[in-house]
Amino acid sequence: MTEQNDNLETLMRRSLAGDQRAYAALLHETTRLLRPFLAKRLSIAGEVDDLMQEILLSIHKARHTYDGNRPYKPWVYAIAKFRLQDHLRVHYSDQLRHALDFDELEEYLLEPVTESLMSYESISGEVDKLPEKQAMILRFLHQDGYTAREVAEKTGMTESAVKVAAHRAYKVLRKKLER
Amino acid sequence: MANIDDLVTTLAQDAAAVKPAPHPFLLCFQWMGAAAVYLALALAISGPRPDLLDRFHQTWFAAEIAALLGVFIVTSLSTALLAFPDLHQKRRLAFAPVAAFALFVGVMFLAWRADNPPSPLPVHSFECTLSIALMTLLPAAWAFYSLRRFASTHYRLAGSTALLSAFSVGALWLRLHEDTNSIAHLVEWHYLPMLVIGLAGLWLGKVLLKW
Repeated sequence: MTEQNDNLETLMRRSLAGDQRAYAALLHETTRLLRPFLAKRLSIAGEVDDLMQEILLSIHKARHTYDGNRPYKPWVYAIAKFRLQDHLRVHYSDQLRHALDFDELEEYLLEPVTESLMSYESISGEVDKLPEKQAMILRFLHQDGYTAREVAEKTGMTESAVKVAAHRAYKVLRKKLER
Repeated sequence: MANIDDLVTTLAQDAAAVKPAPHPFLLCFQWMGAAAVYLALALAISGPRPDLLDRFHQTWFAAEIAALLGVFIVTSLSTALLAFPDLHQKRRLAFAPVAAFALFVGVMFLAWRADNPPSPLPVHSFECTLSIALMTLLPAAWAFYSLRRFASTHYRLAGSTALLSAFSVGALWLRLHEDTNSIAHLVEWHYLPMLVIGLAGLWLGKVLLKW
């Protein structure tokens, strides 16, 4: 273990001196070291790879703050934890923003999204005032007559995400039209 | 995984020799040296209070200045440590401002009790806070500019300690310049604003030091 630590510190010292091979070896070793740490805290494998790339970039940006005279691992773990916290913060705030009531969602996913009692033309002015993504989905569904699945294919979203976005847009429109 | 290998190759190709950042103690000495010159210049221009030498013979004035100096030194040191992702592996020292502020509050409390009968309140009030804040601007700007060259993983805290360190320079200047002995005035208009400054530093740290 100490030998590996010595090795990491030596690699970093050589990297700081401009040795590119040592730097590549150090980054590979660091990836190997951090992978289990991240895998334990993130459930999706793709997320681990994305975050690992962010961490490697951060190490690159911050490498001047390591002088080669203190243990390497606490330094690199501090950066990894920092990026992990950032990642989780964004992830959870995103989830909260997109959270919907489960009952409401279940009920809604069974409904056909292309059926409407009102003509699209009569409310197109209001649709244009919606956020760009929601407006685009409504245009696809009601102006161009695509199904939710087709819209999903066109926009690169999942079908459920299209339905959810459309549902949100309907809610906003309903509120506006009820006023 | 292939993406990571590509990234490693790209980063390695981009890796020229890098000069390691100075040791945080050296960084702290640089900041303190610059602040000392700034304080001396400010005092030379504005002039020290007329009874300064006499006041230093009074226990609580000397203790207050020493404690304020302590806050300045410890917050500067903490800021320097917080500039590094791993706090230069000196975690306890990085959080030492808590002890320095506790000591300062204790000294001010004892000075307030010793101020009996209370010294008369000066006619001015918020002007003191404003003067200190103006004096704070330059050291604060320099501290944030320096910190942005590092990689703080505690950016909010680093922002807060940096502002407190700069504010304590301003507070020291005004205490050595202004002929005021009322502890109530000092607490209300010189030192309580430090709380606001600390909070503002948390916000500024998030805005300016996130990387």
